[in-house]
Amino acid sequence: MSPFDLKNRVILITGASSGIGRQCAIGCSKFGANVILSGRDKGRLNETLGMLRNDENQCHAVMACDLTDYAEVERMISQVVEKMGRIDGVLHCAGISTTLPLRSVSIGKLEEYFNANVFSAYNLTREVCKAGNFSKEGGSIVFLSSVMACVGEVGKSLYAMTKGALRAGVKSLACELARKNIRVNSISPGVVITPINQNLPHIAEPERREALESKHLLGLGKAEDVANACVFLLSDASRWITGIDLCVDGGYTAM
Amino acid sequence: MEQKFLDLLKEILEIEDRELLMTDNFREYPEWDSLAYLSVIAMLDEEYGIQIEGSEFKKLKTVGDLFSVVTKK
Repeated sequence: MSPFDLKNRVILITGASSGIGRQCAIGCSKFGANVILSGRDKGRLNETLGMLRNDENQCHAVMACDLTDYAEVERMISQVVEKMGRIDGVLHCAGISTTLPLRSVSIGKLEEYFNANVFSAYNLTREVCKAGNFSKEGGSIVFLSSVMACVGEVGKSLYAMTKGALRAGVKSLACELARKNIRVNSISPGVVITPINQNLPHIAEPERREALESKHLLGLGKAEDVANACVFLLSDASRWITGIDLCVDGGYTAM
Repeated sequence: MEQKFLDLLKEILEIEDRELLMTDNFREYPEWDSLAYLSVIAMLDEEYGIQIEGSEFKKLKTVGDLFSVVTKK
């Protein structure tokens, strides 16, 4: 059996309705996982469901959920455990992004972004780790952070603070959950082209795209590049890795 | 309403040394850059609940054009 195998593993993926989350779900299914797709838009989650590998012994599920509604998250996790069994892995891709200068970042915006990117991630982790929810053998939790957690760009302070919080939280959570054999890591992607951002000015306008590409030694990334790293961190191939941040950034932070 | 809009725009563009006129071409302001653009988009959303597409925004030239987006809402 390949150490990357995810057969019989129950993997919960948030933000699975599009972009990186969707691709990660596809990647996990290819490696045999039973995938639970979580997101707000049931229609698009069902689209993702249709893209998954679905071998005879595989079983996937769609769970529409607003992660900022904590009661709803609690219900979702108990439904997951009831329907699919205990959880072996969590891949938290859900999040929101923006480019806003300091002058436009109101307290309201701070609350909105911290709620969506940090508080919901922490609450989800708490729910998943409650007695009876996570596999007795342990497993892996992966947060999607960003290169913005360790380097800067104009207008990225708000987004960076939320992604930095995730990256910082990973180390202490890894210390705390190691006794349950739950590994906790984060992945920090550089700029990845997805259907959501491909029409935005920094990707669509040739000059701006060129400037962005020049910051990535290996060019801009694909969602598959991140998905492969996620499969690695969810699988036993990374069984001796916890508390790290894995930069998947085409060399963005190497320069 | 008009004065409030001008005050908000002035604040968001961090203009201290002059008053804004409805006939001004805001794209010619020395303060106008990609971040100013993002700030104005955010201001329209937060203050007036207006989400404007990039292609639509490109058609706006003057401060009055911007204001008309607000009044048309």
